[in-house]
Amino acid sequence: MNIGKSVVVKGELSGSEDLTIEGVIEGTIELRQNVLTIGPSGKIKAQIIAKAVIVLGEVHGNITATDKVEIRDTGSVDGDVTAPRIAISDGAHFRGAIDMQRSGTEAKPEGRSAPDKAPPLTGPASPTAGVPVR
Amino acid sequence: MLNWGQKQPAPDAGVGAPPAPDFTIASSLVFPKFLSVVGRREHPVLLDLGPVIGSNVQFLTERLTCKLHIEDLFQEIEAAARARVRQGLEAALFKRLGQGPESVDGILCWDVFDFLDRTAGVALASHLETLLRKGGALYGFFGTTAVDLDHYTRYTIKREDRFELRPVPATPVKRRVLVTREINMMFEGLMSADSVLLKSGTRETLFRRPA
Repeated sequence: MNIGKSVVVKGELSGSEDLTIEGVIEGTIELRQNVLTIGPSGKIKAQIIAKAVIVLGEVHGNITATDKVEIRDTGSVDGDVTAPRIAISDGAHFRGAIDMQRSGTEAKPEGRSAPDKAPPLTGPASPTAGVPVR
Repeated sequence: MLNWGQKQPAPDAGVGAPPAPDFTIASSLVFPKFLSVVGRREHPVLLDLGPVIGSNVQFLTERLTCKLHIEDLFQEIEAAARARVRQGLEAALFKRLGQGPESVDGILCWDVFDFLDRTAGVALASHLETLLRKGGALYGFFGTTAVDLDHYTRYTIKREDRFELRPVPATPVKRRVLVTREINMMFEGLMSADSVLLKSGTRETLFRRPA
């Protein structure tokens, strides 16, 4: 299904089929089982939840995908992206945070870390690379 | 700028031959250690102070299964250099860094400090320290020759111990050279975990916040 360039939607958009948007959407978009494509003319000011999101136009808002998010070279995203797979092409604009979530895993609460068992960080430097400076 | 690593040889220097590639490949001894430190933490949070590079995003997120904040400070530095106004640069840098105290496990500074004057450099270093969680790591490069910097360098991660360095035009600024002691003083709340002086004269450094 396509939403054309002349279409402006304000509110909640949800569905159960793949969707390509060339128009303007403000609000929320939810396509949990489907692929959402923001076409080159698409301008989105919305929170997006979908199986996969492909951005060739503009998105202002957070994107959550259960499969992947792709920001193509003409695409622009201002917002946080959460997905198990993320691809950003050269030339794409992105401003925000990227949260890599493996499928079926829960995000760890902020401020806690696993025990740090890092090995000592000193060691001989390769002669071809340089000399360690202490 | 860094003259770091070896230029890729052109296949043929004759007439009609394709131009030599405008990038260099550089090895890293310290970056694998940064990855090792950060990779031991569960779902770590990373802060990248360089530009958005798609393959770096893919490498870091897939390798570390992390949350990655990208805040390209070079945009603010370039804007200040173009305007020839250094005042207010710190404020512009901090405005981009909205992360809370002790909320980040790893910071990739690249060579951002080469482009900052003393005031901005000290202020940024101090602020970055506050963002690091205990045991967190900070990775960066420091040039050792006082030259006019007329380009930025895009560091593309090719492997955990290899970068592709690609120059990007910049408004020239004078590099402020920091000796090791000055760098350590700038990050006085952190401990120097590793520092390697490369043959090119660039110092590759890893700091850690004590656990």
